[in-house]
Amino acid sequence: MQLELGIIKIKDVQFGSATKIENNVLYVDKAELIAALSGDERIQSIDVELAKPGDSTRIIPVKDVIEPRVKVEGPGNIFPGMLGKVEMVGTGRTHVLSGCAVVTSGNIVGFQEGIIDMSGPGADYTPFSKLFNVVIVAEPKEGVLQHDHEASVRNIGFKAAAYLAEAGRQVTPCEIKKYEHLPFIEGVKRYPNLPKVVFVYMLQTQGLLHDTYVYGVDAKRILPTLISPTEVFDGAIVSGNCVSACDKNPTIVHCNNPIIEDLYDRHGTDLNFLGVVITNENVTLADKERSSNYTAKLVEMLGADAVIISEEGFGNPDADLMMNCVKIENKGIKTVLVTDEYAGRDGASQSLADANPLANAVITAGNANEVIVLPPMAKVIGHPRVADVIAGGWAGSLQPDGSIIAEIQVITGVNSELGYFTLTAREV
Amino acid sequence: MVKEIERCGIPVVHMCTVVPISLTVGANRIVPTVAIPHPLGNPTLTPADEKNLRRRLVERALKALQTEVHLQTVFEE
Repeated sequence: MQLELGIIKIKDVQFGSATKIENNVLYVDKAELIAALSGDERIQSIDVELAKPGDSTRIIPVKDVIEPRVKVEGPGNIFPGMLGKVEMVGTGRTHVLSGCAVVTSGNIVGFQEGIIDMSGPGADYTPFSKLFNVVIVAEPKEGVLQHDHEASVRNIGFKAAAYLAEAGRQVTPCEIKKYEHLPFIEGVKRYPNLPKVVFVYMLQTQGLLHDTYVYGVDAKRILPTLISPTEVFDGAIVSGNCVSACDKNPTIVHCNNPIIEDLYDRHGTDLNFLGVVITNENVTLADKERSSNYTAKLVEMLGADAVIISEEGFGNPDADLMMNCVKIENKGIKTVLVTDEYAGRDGASQSLADANPLANAVITAGNANEVIVLPPMAKVIGHPRVADVIAGGWAGSLQPDGSIIAEIQVITGVNSELGYFTLTAREV
Repeated sequence: MVKEIERCGIPVVHMCTVVPISLTVGANRIVPTVAIPHPLGNPTLTPADEKNLRRRLVERALKALQTEVHLQTVFEE
């Protein structure tokens, strides 16, 4: 499978009379965008706001961050199974509006969405403050249940990204990145002397709005399976998560999965990037046992020499992480884990809910319990009162002057366990 | 909490879904439960069947409390 990503740099976003890209500026016809998003009977109102790097703007609560991408050659469409049909994606050519994003906002669960500050100290703690964000504020009709509200906002976000990405269909990209995923037998033969590395990609699937979708399938219902990394770039995996903001994988992070990108960068030089196994993080012990057994078996069947395992979320998924690690290590295959920490505000507590001596190579995306003060912003998009109930906040987190004192857990993307952000921690 | 109460000389049964975590943190008597969002219930059952399930789990926990253990022990069905 061969995929080309055509990168179109977006250096500003403005409202305009027509949606188009000119000189790296994305112009958005607000009325046409809202019309394209309307029609969901569960939604009372939709508004669109812009939030740019450096603005004195806070977005709260943030549900998802989505990068506009459009398939210009090859079968299928971006976010297959969520939009359009369920063609297999991952081949041909896709245009990427890099530097901008759709941010969906809505008071869905309240305590399990996040914050993005576009300036100030909070902006230093999220990768999404560097993007030109088109923020969709979708308010539900009275009486709409949370899971219906979540489904609506999720879908509206994908539609908005698809609408904006159409503006890039005819634009000549400034850069073309080429990716290839060979049939496994050929992949092994291509670099026979390099260690064969598989990526085990754990997806948050605890239910109760902690869900990830693969080709539209709720991933809690899958057995671990294979996916081409090029399919991931085409949006085959999307977030449906309302869960702690700091270490969930928003859809933009799936589409730009840094572990996959880095494995491609080193493919053929010091390693042979063999493929990707996706697995889930379910809520019964039998499911955890089955999925980790199956994951270890798939990795062994592929003939991997080494495996990188990434977690999504924290708490009981730490047990899935350890089961995957131990079962793969016990087959004589080396593992490296990518996780984050909940080590208390002083960093002195046990970082993970589970541990094992075989987990002896671990990358951390930092301690989510560190406390930060987010100063007031001139503009708040959304519902600032959520700060008092958001995971990582507490009653009184929202100060009378509009500032917020909370753990960095409240900030979207700060502890990315796919390495999408720069935060880490080290032992002292 | 399990370990601190036991340190005072009172036996404890840890009823939990993710048994490996319970083993890692050092509980001595462990009763596996249903699922993380509903450890002692099962919303797919009828109310009568769910009551039976809860009774069975609690009775197993009481039996575990009265059982002498020398190593970490998981009380399966």
